[in-house]
Amino acid sequence: MEQSSTSALLQGTVLDLASDVVSALRSGDHVRAGSTLTGGGAGEGVARAAVRVLGADALLPSVLLRVPPDPGQLAVFKDAVAAHPPRDDAAPAVVWSHWAMARTLRRVEHPLTGPDAAEPAAEPGAAWLDEAGWQTLTHQLAVLAPLALPGEECAVTRAARRRPVDVARGFVRAVRRRDWQQAAGAGRWLTLLDGVPDTLGLAAGLDFVRLMGGSDPRVALQLEAARLMPAAVLL
Amino acid sequence: MSVAGVGEAALDWVWAHRDGFALGDDALAADGQVNRTWKPLGELTRVCASVSLCTPPTDALHARASDLLDFAWQQTHRGELFGLMQSLEPFATYPLEVYAAFASAGFRHPGYEASAAVVARTRGWRLTEQYPTRRLGVLEAERHSGIQPHAPVPQALEGTWLGGLPEPWTFERSAGYALTHVVFHLTDWGRAPRGVPSGLADYLLHWLPPWLDTCLDARMWDLSCELLAVAASLPRPPEPSVLDDAWRRLATAQDSSGAVPEEGSAQDAAGPDAGPDPYAFTDCYHSTLMAVFAASLTTARPRHADRAEHAEHTEHADDAAQHAGQGAPG
Amino acid sequence: MPSKDKVLEEVIHTENIDIDAVLDPAEPDGVFRDSRECAALALQAGGTQLLLSPPTPRPKKG
Repeated sequence: MEQSSTSALLQGTVLDLASDVVSALRSGDHVRAGSTLTGGGAGEGVARAAVRVLGADALLPSVLLRVPPDPGQLAVFKDAVAAHPPRDDAAPAVVWSHWAMARTLRRVEHPLTGPDAAEPAAEPGAAWLDEAGWQTLTHQLAVLAPLALPGEECAVTRAARRRPVDVARGFVRAVRRRDWQQAAGAGRWLTLLDGVPDTLGLAAGLDFVRLMGGSDPRVALQLEAARLMPAAVLL
Repeated sequence: MSVAGVGEAALDWVWAHRDGFALGDDALAADGQVNRTWKPLGELTRVCASVSLCTPPTDALHARASDLLDFAWQQTHRGELFGLMQSLEPFATYPLEVYAAFASAGFRHPGYEASAAVVARTRGWRLTEQYPTRRLGVLEAERHSGIQPHAPVPQALEGTWLGGLPEPWTFERSAGYALTHVVFHLTDWGRAPRGVPSGLADYLLHWLPPWLDTCLDARMWDLSCELLAVAASLPRPPEPSVLDDAWRRLATAQDSSGAVPEEGSAQDAAGPDAGPDPYAFTDCYHSTLMAVFAASLTTARPRHADRAEHAEHTEHADDAAQHAGQGAPG
Repeated sequence: MPSKDKVLEEVIHTENIDIDAVLDPAEPDGVFRDSRECAALALQAGGTQLLLSPPTPRPKKG
């Protein structure tokens, strides 16, 4: 079996999973029928890896809409967190996306006491973002879009809040490059930041990204999150 | 390579290729190509006028720019050809626009100015249908040529892409060229940064970085040079990291002859071993001139650091240095 | 006889597929294409040549 077809299957599963999340965010409930994780479509290992790739956003409907996750989905999510810990030499974005998953898991499992009740791993550092130019900053924030949540408080969100203009510039750059995934992720962040220049035209920009790139469920997921963000309160 | 180094090398190329700017017989012919005759000569004049103004007389660039201005003025028979052009095409605006470049450098022809003023008094002249950006240029040309401008600048500005503060992600090549020229006209080609209204200056400080970045990425060297000239024409410059990065990337496109190709496609066509003069005149003269223009404005900036408009913004300097970006207006 | 998925599963299990590259992907190259210019319809081009000439007469049927 070639590695390329393995990763093609993984990417396909990530897209299916993202579609599930988009449907759930749009309908306000879980899509139980035909769910990628519980429908037995993909093998366990692939599903687990796909959840790891989609990251904390796999449980975004539960977090944003305050509905309890499907037990089967939750189990796969837990497995994904356990099976794919970051390596010692992992890039900061990899470490942070894993941290975000662990944090989401605690939020979902301890909704009453909040995440602080069982705070495990120490928060990673975000110095790499502070040292990054605006291009890299935006790219990395888009990769870490699952951390863009109302009321989220961590080093990455603080780094983003310090540089709203730079993220807005990154959004412009991503649209110019037709990198819709980055544009959508940056757009999601921008809905949370104060100090974004009005002239950016964010609302029209998000509509434009949906028009151009919304057929990719990973793009649609970010745009749905951005749509719900202003009204949402963190679980 | 330093910014000044890019500019010097580019001006060397211009000097070595000055015959390419000479007016031939087709400059006056009914079927002659204006874009290959008057336009390059006018652009040469524009840039050299700017260089001579923003370099001290002791600077080698200053002397070379002055020599090129003399060369260009000679091409017009010391202004005589403008009157001739007017008798041939009385309602064309380009002769006045080219003439204004000379006038801004102190080369004037009173007879032509008087006859241009007659035509400029007509409703037909005022109503010439042109892009709003171009209209702004005609207004500036009138002002430089001793003619009462036919409309107020703010009204003309309103009709331009830049004047409407559009969503910055709608930028593309044509909008880019329109906006750079709006700034050139508003600032009298970099001479008067205060000509940019403050709202527009804030807007440009916000969005020049992603425009520059993506134009450089797309190897649109000509437009990148124009955007760098805009950056150097604002009341307050963008953060240094943005300019350093852009100039470093632009320098990689400059040929050892000093030529800067207009676009990456010219580089692809020339190939890696293209010899000492890899680009056709038409593929590089404009971008090379714009490199001279942008470099001279950029290097002149520190020398003019005591200008009033700069001093009143110094409180922002610390903000700009805080991050590797985010040099945003307050 | 293991199914295709089972085989894949094994691959992922045994090699613990390197998902780091997927988790921190490099930026794709920018795609740039600008709007083309199309002269206004029915606008004269060049000086002598007619745009949008009248429709070619069709041969009559029958």
